Amino acid sequence: MAEVVFEKVRKTFGSTVAVNDLDLTIDEGEFVSLLGPSGCGKTTTLRMLAGLEEPSGGTIRIGDRVVNSVPPAKRDIAMVFQSYALYPHMTVGKNIAYPLKKRGIREPERSERVMATARLLELETLLDRKPAQLSGGQQQRVALGRAMVREPQVFLLDEPLSNLDARLRAHMRAELIELHRRIGRTMIYVTHDQLEAMTMSTRIAVMNAGVLQQFATPADIFHRPANVFVAGFIGSPAMSLVEGELVGSGGGDGERRFRVHCGALDVALPAGLLNRSAAPGPISLGIRPEDILLGSGHHTAAVGVVERTGHESIVRLEAQGTPLIVRAPGDTPIESGETVRFSLRVERLHIFDSTTGLRLNADTKDS
Amino acid sequence: MHSDPPPSLEKRYARIGVVLIAPTVLVFCAVILYPLISAIYLSLFSIYTPTLAGEWVGVDNYTALLASGDFWNAALNTLIWTVGTLMLQLVFGVAMALLLNQSIVFQSLARSLVLFPYFLSTVVAVLVWRWLFNDLYGILNHVLLIAGLIDAPVNWLGQMPNAMISIILVGAWKYFPFVVIVVLARLQSIPEQLYEAATIDGAGPFQRFTDITLPQLRDVLVVVVLLRAIWDFKEFDLIYLMTGGGPVRATQTLSLLVYEEAFRLNRMGMASTYAVAMMLVLLGFTLVYLRQTNRLEEG
Repeated sequence: MAEVVFEKVRKTFGSTVAVNDLDLTIDEGEFVSLLGPSGCGKTTTLRMLAGLEEPSGGTIRIGDRVVNSVPPAKRDIAMVFQSYALYPHMTVGKNIAYPLKKRGIREPERSERVMATARLLELETLLDRKPAQLSGGQQQRVALGRAMVREPQVFLLDEPLSNLDARLRAHMRAELIELHRRIGRTMIYVTHDQLEAMTMSTRIAVMNAGVLQQFATPADIFHRPANVFVAGFIGSPAMSLVEGELVGSGGGDGERRFRVHCGALDVALPAGLLNRSAAPGPISLGIRPEDILLGSGHHTAAVGVVERTGHESIVRLEAQGTPLIVRAPGDTPIESGETVRFSLRVERLHIFDSTTGLRLNADTKDS
Repeated sequence: MHSDPPPSLEKRYARIGVVLIAPTVLVFCAVILYPLISAIYLSLFSIYTPTLAGEWVGVDNYTALLASGDFWNAALNTLIWTVGTLMLQLVFGVAMALLLNQSIVFQSLARSLVLFPYFLSTVVAVLVWRWLFNDLYGILNHVLLIAGLIDAPVNWLGQMPNAMISIILVGAWKYFPFVVIVVLARLQSIPEQLYEAATIDGAGPFQRFTDITLPQLRDVLVVVVLLRAIWDFKEFDLIYLMTGGGPVRATQTLSLLVYEEAFRLNRMGMASTYAVAMMLVLLGFTLVYLRQTNRLEEG
């Protein structure tokens, strides 16, 4: 049993609240990403779990054990640091062997386990090198090896890919997914890169300003963002968020019908799009770039910058003062300065309460 | 293009370089190279210092040196002094650096206080210490008598082995700040994450010191030991002012012996011979130092 549970966990530094009443239950064997912008509390959360920071309140459990006052070495966790934190004066072999040595595991078992780990990570030929003689990707693997070698219940990874170049990062993402599949241990992964979180995680915990925003699968996070922050943070390019007004429009068949007025956009929402708590008033309308279709429809807008990446074009529109971002096919014949017609996939619109920021769509899941 | 080309840019830069470095080279020759060659030259003569008149004796001075009890006595004293004071400097210096690296509150104040002995003029420092050590009215004896640790005043500077111990202690006090500065600078550049990783890997505080801190300090300690060894080996003013080499010749180091030969006994040739011998030893240290620093820069 190695589920990880945070209950009302707080961490304050002076008057700054880094983590605010965090409730989070991570199941055994999950790959969970803590995702958020710098200073959102994700690293502090991880460090509290590692035992490098003491929580100011609440309890942290690993398995059945409350670990608040358990020293880091006794928590049965391993951590991979952003800087890798390899011991520079030790060879690769000694780096990997170090946690075993400190736990009193003797030869020949120690060497056998180091070799097994090295084989798994394809480091056998590098065991006698010093960290400074390795490439970034190799150092990364040594750091992973040092974490894996003593088979901890939980792996903590603090932005482990952020020091690698883009190509290597994509490669290591795949390797990490494969590794997680193979060893099946709980992994908790801190990142500010949504691509990493979306591609690797079983579930993502999105954090902002010390508060957990949503904890759900990548698909849920993307398709059913719980609030305006998650909606704006996930997705690249970001969802267009437009302030507007939700108005009731009757509906003779007993169903509640709504329209949204957002500047130039006046859209009738399909029946059943919104949940019970939806009521006329100020809202934020969220439109994903792929949910705007160019070419026809009864909305018009001026075309601003067109960024072509080959397989797609990112088009910036301005519909009478309302900025929108559209993802269109790469060969869309469109030029800056033109006026285009467009339509919306209304069944995919996201409606958020302007005051609470909460999602009003009917498919919203409790998180 | 090939007919009568103007000097290339590199050549002109090289010429400017030579012009710019020339004054330094000239000064270097005047104050380092010339005295060095003179010393070697003078060591081949028997010279009366006041007149600088003398006769060629070849390597006689060197054979005399090897047979001289004074030389070997001074060499042994130099060794004891250098090793003794250097060890203490290292122990106190590293310990103090570790201490200053811990707390943050008094750090800047403590740091300037620690540096104080190093900045103090040797003459001032030694005069104060001689007062402290004075056998009749020094505070050290006073305190020790009151505390009941000694029954009668101790002669700190006029008696062996007290005199050697005293200069070693004062030397350590005067020069340990150098070790503190260098070691502290290195300590602060050791990434915190190494300690965190070691903590998670299961290392306790003492193991973190032996497994992370010490190996990280190793390179800088090698440099510190070599530099301090070179400087302590040729220390003159501190010892000369504290004991003058006494009692008798008990704390006479090679530097003091050179001074005595040259200006008390007026035997400049013999003094030069001793100086050349010292230089050879220092040359050894320096070569090791240069090899070590080159190695560090490469790796």
